[in-house]
Amino acid sequence: MPTAFPLPSDLSPATVSNTASLLRIVALALISGAAIASRLFAVINFESIIHEFDPWFNYRATRVLAAKGFYEFWNWFDPTAWYPLGRVVGGTVYPGLMATSGVIYNLLHALNLPVDIRNICVMLAPGFSALTAWATYMFTKEMKDESAGLLAAAFIGIVPGYISRSVAGSYDNEAIAIFLLMFTFYCWIKALKLGSALFGTLAAVFYFYMVAAWGGYVFITNMIPLHGLVLILMGRFTSRLYVAYSSWYVIGTLSSMQVPFVGFQPVSTSEHMAALGVFGLLQLVAFTQLVRSHVSSKQFQDLLLIAVVTTGLLGAAAFVGLTYAQKIAPWTGRFYSLWDTGYAKKHIPIIASVSEHQPTAWPSFFMDLQFLIFLFPAGVVLCFHQLRDEHIFVIIYAVMASYFAGVMVRLMLTLTPVVCVASAVAFSSLLDTYLDAAEPEEEVAEASGTAGTPAVASKKSKKAAPQAEAGNAFTDIVAAAASAKKGDSPKVKAIYGLDTRLAIIVNALGMLAFFVFHCTWATSNAYSSPSVVLASTNQDGSQHIIDDFREAYYWLRQNTPETAVVMSWWDYGYQIAGMADRPTLVDNNTWNNTHIATVGKAMSSSEEVAYPILRKHDVDYVLVIFGGLLGYSGDDINKFLWMVRIAQGVWPEEIQEPNYFTPQGEYRVDDKASRAMRESLMYKMSYYRFAELFGGGPATDRVRNQQVPKVGPTLDYLDEAYTTENWIVRIYEVRKEDLLGRDLKSANAFAKGKKRKRSKPLSRRRALL
Amino acid sequence: MLSFYTFALFFLSLAGLLHAKSSDGDSVLVVVEEAQQKEFTLFFDGLREQGYELTFRGPKDEKPAVVEHDVPAFSHIIILASESKNFAKDITPQALVALLSGGSNLLIALSQKQTPMTSLAAEFSLILPPPNTPLVSFFPERKDSPSVIPIAAPASSLILSPKMSPIWFSGVAHALGSNPLLVPILNAPAESFAADSEGGADALVDATEKGGEGLWAGSQLSVVTGFQAVGGARVAWVGGTDMFSDKFMKKEVSKGVQSGNAKFARDLTAWTFQESLVLRIDSTTHHLVNSTTPLEQYTNNDNIVYTAGISRFNPKTSTWEPYSGIKDMQLEFTMLDPHIRTALPAVPGSPGKYSVTFRAPDRHGVFKFVINYKRKGWTHLHSSTTVAVVPPRHDGYPRFLSAAWPYYAGAISTSVGFFIFSAAWLAGGSRENKKGKAKAQ
Repeated sequence: MPTAFPLPSDLSPATVSNTASLLRIVALALISGAAIASRLFAVINFESIIHEFDPWFNYRATRVLAAKGFYEFWNWFDPTAWYPLGRVVGGTVYPGLMATSGVIYNLLHALNLPVDIRNICVMLAPGFSALTAWATYMFTKEMKDESAGLLAAAFIGIVPGYISRSVAGSYDNEAIAIFLLMFTFYCWIKALKLGSALFGTLAAVFYFYMVAAWGGYVFITNMIPLHGLVLILMGRFTSRLYVAYSSWYVIGTLSSMQVPFVGFQPVSTSEHMAALGVFGLLQLVAFTQLVRSHVSSKQFQDLLLIAVVTTGLLGAAAFVGLTYAQKIAPWTGRFYSLWDTGYAKKHIPIIASVSEHQPTAWPSFFMDLQFLIFLFPAGVVLCFHQLRDEHIFVIIYAVMASYFAGVMVRLMLTLTPVVCVASAVAFSSLLDTYLDAAEPEEEVAEASGTAGTPAVASKKSKKAAPQAEAGNAFTDIVAAAASAKKGDSPKVKAIYGLDTRLAIIVNALGMLAFFVFHCTWATSNAYSSPSVVLASTNQDGSQHIIDDFREAYYWLRQNTPETAVVMSWWDYGYQIAGMADRPTLVDNNTWNNTHIATVGKAMSSSEEVAYPILRKHDVDYVLVIFGGLLGYSGDDINKFLWMVRIAQGVWPEEIQEPNYFTPQGEYRVDDKASRAMRESLMYKMSYYRFAELFGGGPATDRVRNQQVPKVGPTLDYLDEAYTTENWIVRIYEVRKEDLLGRDLKSANAFAKGKKRKRSKPLSRRRALL
Repeated sequence: MLSFYTFALFFLSLAGLLHAKSSDGDSVLVVVEEAQQKEFTLFFDGLREQGYELTFRGPKDEKPAVVEHDVPAFSHIIILASESKNFAKDITPQALVALLSGGSNLLIALSQKQTPMTSLAAEFSLILPPPNTPLVSFFPERKDSPSVIPIAAPASSLILSPKMSPIWFSGVAHALGSNPLLVPILNAPAESFAADSEGGADALVDATEKGGEGLWAGSQLSVVTGFQAVGGARVAWVGGTDMFSDKFMKKEVSKGVQSGNAKFARDLTAWTFQESLVLRIDSTTHHLVNSTTPLEQYTNNDNIVYTAGISRFNPKTSTWEPYSGIKDMQLEFTMLDPHIRTALPAVPGSPGKYSVTFRAPDRHGVFKFVINYKRKGWTHLHSSTTVAVVPPRHDGYPRFLSAAWPYYAGAISTSVGFFIFSAAWLAGGSRENKKGKAKAQ
C-alpha cells in the first residue's frame, strides 16, 4: 500500500488509542486553559471588577444570596429598585447564575478557602467557558469524531462571538447559559441516538438548569420540538425519538415550572406551545405505529393519515382559539420583533432602544467569527452528506440561529456554538482528507472505479467508521471539483504526493493561526472593557483610566443619606444600586414601561413640568451622563430621543418627538436647537455651566461636534451637586419646596435680588359683558 | 371699668410672674430707630414681663449680628423700623427669608412708604396698595383723622383672645394672595379703603369707573396677617407700627373703654413667637395587631396599627403636654397616591395618643405612613414613615386549596392508574410470553 509519507507500522492498536486519548485529554486541558486565559484580559488590563450593567444586579443579588441564604433570596423584596413600586426579586429573576455562584462560594468556604464573592462572580464566566469547550467537544464528537470535537472545543474556547459575553467580570446569565445550552443539546442527541430515558432525563435536568439560568431557554424549548417534528415529517419516527422526547418534555416541563419566574408559562404561553404540540403529535404517531403494527391495510393507513392531519389541524385551531380567548398568552413583543424587525421600533420603543436588540451589522459576523463564518456553510453541507438524525439537528440549529443572529445582535451568541461545531466538522474533514497518508494503488483504483474511495483505509479511518465516511464525503467534493477542472483525466480521483497535501495543510494551519491572532486581538481590544471604567491612550502611548462612573457612585454613597432616591435613565439603575447603594426609580430590568416613561417625561419636559413628577416620586438626586467634554458617545443626550419616544408612547399629547428636532429635522444642541430641546431637563442638566468651562471661548460638544450657546441654561428647581472629573457623570440635587410656598423660579429670582412686579388684588367680581 | 383695668394689670403681672416662654427661645431682636424706641415702651415692657430678653438695634447698625457662626443669634425678630429705606446687610429681605428657614420668627411692620419690606411682603403673597395710600375709613364718626381707625376684633379667632375691645389702627392694609400659608388675623373694617389721606373718596370713584379693578377696599383687606412658613417659622405682618405705640395702647375707644391694642399685641406676639397654637408630633410607631415591635416590611393584607403621639405647647408652664383635642386628623398610606386614607382619632383614655388599625392593601411596594395636618393658625404637622409592603413568603401561602381538589384527584388517580397498569402489564406480559413459548413448543 503506497503512502504519501512514511507511517510507523510497529505500533499496536492499543498503544495508538491510548496515546490518542491521552493527547485528547491534554488537548482539552490546554483548550480549557486557553479559554480561561484569553478571558482574563479584562482583569489584567483593568482590574477584577464587575462589568457593564446587568452583571451589577446579578452581583448584588449574589451577595444577598451568599449572605442570607437561598430562602431569603427567594423571598427578597427589593424596596430600593423601581422606587416606590419595589421589585419582588425572587419572583422576577432567573436564579441559576446566583445559585451557581452561591454553591461555589459555600463549597469553597466549606473547604476553608475564604474566597471573596466578587472574585467568584468575576471568574465564573471564564470557568464556565472551559466547561462550554468540553460540552462542545462532546456534542461535536457525536456529529463526527473526536478530532472534530477537539477543533470545535478550541474554536468555541477562543471565538470572539462567545468571549464577548463571557470575559472575566461579565457576570451575566449568558456566562453559564451557553454551557447549559450545549450540554442539553448533547444530552438530547445522545438520548435520541440511544433511545435512552436516562439521557432524556439528563437533558431535562440540564434544561431545568438552563431555564433557571437564562430567558434564552426558549431557544431549547423550540429547537428540540422542531427537531422532533422534522424527524417525524421525514418519516424517521422511531421509538428512540419517542422515549427521548417524552422523557425530556415531561420532566423538563415539570421541573421548569418550579422556577418562580417561569411559573405556569410552559402551559400558558405561545412560546412553549410548540413543545406541547410536538409532544401530543408524538403520542398520536406512536399510537398510529402501534395500530399499524397490528392491522395492515392501505385504506386504514389512509384513514389514519387523515385522522392525524385532522387532529393536528384541530389542535392548531384550539391553540389559536385559546389564544384569542386569552387562555394562552400571545407572543411577547420581544418575539414579534424577531419576525418583524421593524415591529419593536413601531410599537415597543423600550425594546428597540437597547443597542443589543438592533439587527446585526454584516462586519460583526466577521468580527465575531472570523474564518469560521465561511467554513460554517461547508460544515452544514457536510451534514447533509450523511444526514443522520443528529445532523438534522445541526442543520436546523444552523438555519434558525443564523436567522436570529441576523435579527438581533445579542443572538449572535446562540449562533456561535453551531458555527463552531459546523466549522469544526468541515475543518476536520479537510484535515482528515489531506492528512490521510493513503494513496490509491493503480489497480485497486481501477477496480473501485469512479467512486474514488481509498480501498485501503488507513489506521486512523479504521478506528472510527464515521470519520472515514465524513472524510469520504469531503473527498467526493474535492474529487468532483478536480474532475470538473481536469475533465477527462484518466487518473483515479485522489490526492497524490506530499506537495498537494502540504499546500492545503499549511494554508489551513495559517488560517488557524490567523484566527488565533484575530481572537486575541478582538478580545483584548474590543471585548474586555468593563464599561464601568473607560480607558484612553495618552500621547506617549500609556493607558489613561477614566473612572468617572465609580467616582460619581462613590460620591453618592458617601455624601447622601441612605434613603436618597436617585433618578437616572434606566441604563444606570443597576449600577447605582450596586455601586452607590441608593434607591433608583428605574433600572435595567425594564418591566414597567409606564414607570420608565415617567422618567422619560421628567427628563424631556421643562423644569416646571418635571418638578411635580420628581417630588411625587421623592426624588432627591438626578444623575445624567454627559460625554460632551470628553467625546464619550454613549451619553444621555444621544439616548435622549429614546426617552422622548418612550414618554410619547404614554403621553402622546404632552411629549412629541418632532418638537425636539429643528424645523429642518436635525437633532441639534447648539443655538439652533428647538425650544423643547433647550427647555428639557436633560438638556439643561447636561449643558449647565458647560460654556463656562471654556472661559468665553467657543464651547464645543465633542460628541455631536456642535458649539453650544455661550449663555448656558439656568436651573431653578435643581442644584448642581456633583460633577465628575471628566464631566461624564453629573449629579443634581432636587430642591425642596419653597419655604414660602412660592414656585421655585420666583423664589430664585427673589434670592438673586430681582424685584417682583406689583400685583393688584384679585378681582372678586366678574366683569359684566 | 377701673376693676377691668386692674384686673388686666393683675393678669399681666401674673403672666409675668409665670414667665410664659416661647417654645422656640426667648431672645428677641428689635430693629427700631433709636429715636422711636420710646414710643413703644408699653409694648416692650409687656414682652419683658413675658420673659423675653430684648436686644435693640438700629436698622443700619451692624451689631449685634443676627447670625453668628452660621447660627441665628435670636429666636425672634421684630422690625418696627418701617420707614427705613436701607437695612444692614444681615437684615435685607433675602437675609430675613434665610433666617426663616433657620426657624426664626418675624414680626414685621409695614409703612406707607416704599421700603425693602414692601418688596418682601410681595414674596409672602401680600398685595400692597401703591405708596402713600393708607387705609382710611370715615366710620364710625369720630374726632380723629380718618386714617386712625378703630377695628373691632373678630368674633371668633383662634389667635386672639375673645371679647377684645376694638383696636386702634393706622397704616396700610393689604390684600391677600392665594397662598395657603397665609393666616388672616385682623381684617380691615368693611367701610375702609386705601386712599391718599387727603384725597377723600376719590380713589373709590376712580376705581368704580374701572369696574372695581385695583381697589383696595372692604373687609377682604387685612391689616394684620400671619404667615406660617413651611419649616414651621411664623411671620406676622402688621400694617403699621402705630398699633404697638404707647399712644394707641392708652387711647380710649369710647369713653372709659381702654383700647384692645395691648392685649392684641400680646396675643399677636404669643402666636408669632410660638407660644400659642403650637403642636408637635412626639412619636409615631407602627406594628402588627397583637404585636408591639415595628417591622421594616409588612405583608399584603396585614392588619397594621399606627399610633402617633401629639403634644401641644403650654406657654403657662413652658412644657409640652399631650394633646388629644384634634378631631379631624387623617392618616394616609401612600405609594405615589394614597392607597388608604383613614381618620386618625384620638385614643380615649390615653392623652395625646392617636391610633388607627387598618388592613394593608393587596399591593406590594414601598409605602409611607403620612400625617399631613395643616390648619390655619396651628402648627402644621407632617410625618412620613417609609415601610415596604411585600407579597407573602414562599411558604406564606395556604398549602392546600379546597378549590384545587379536581387537580389533586386527577394527579392521584393518574398515579394510581399508572401503578395498576404497570402491575397488570408486567403480570400479564409474562403470562403471554409463557403462552407463546408453550405454543411454540
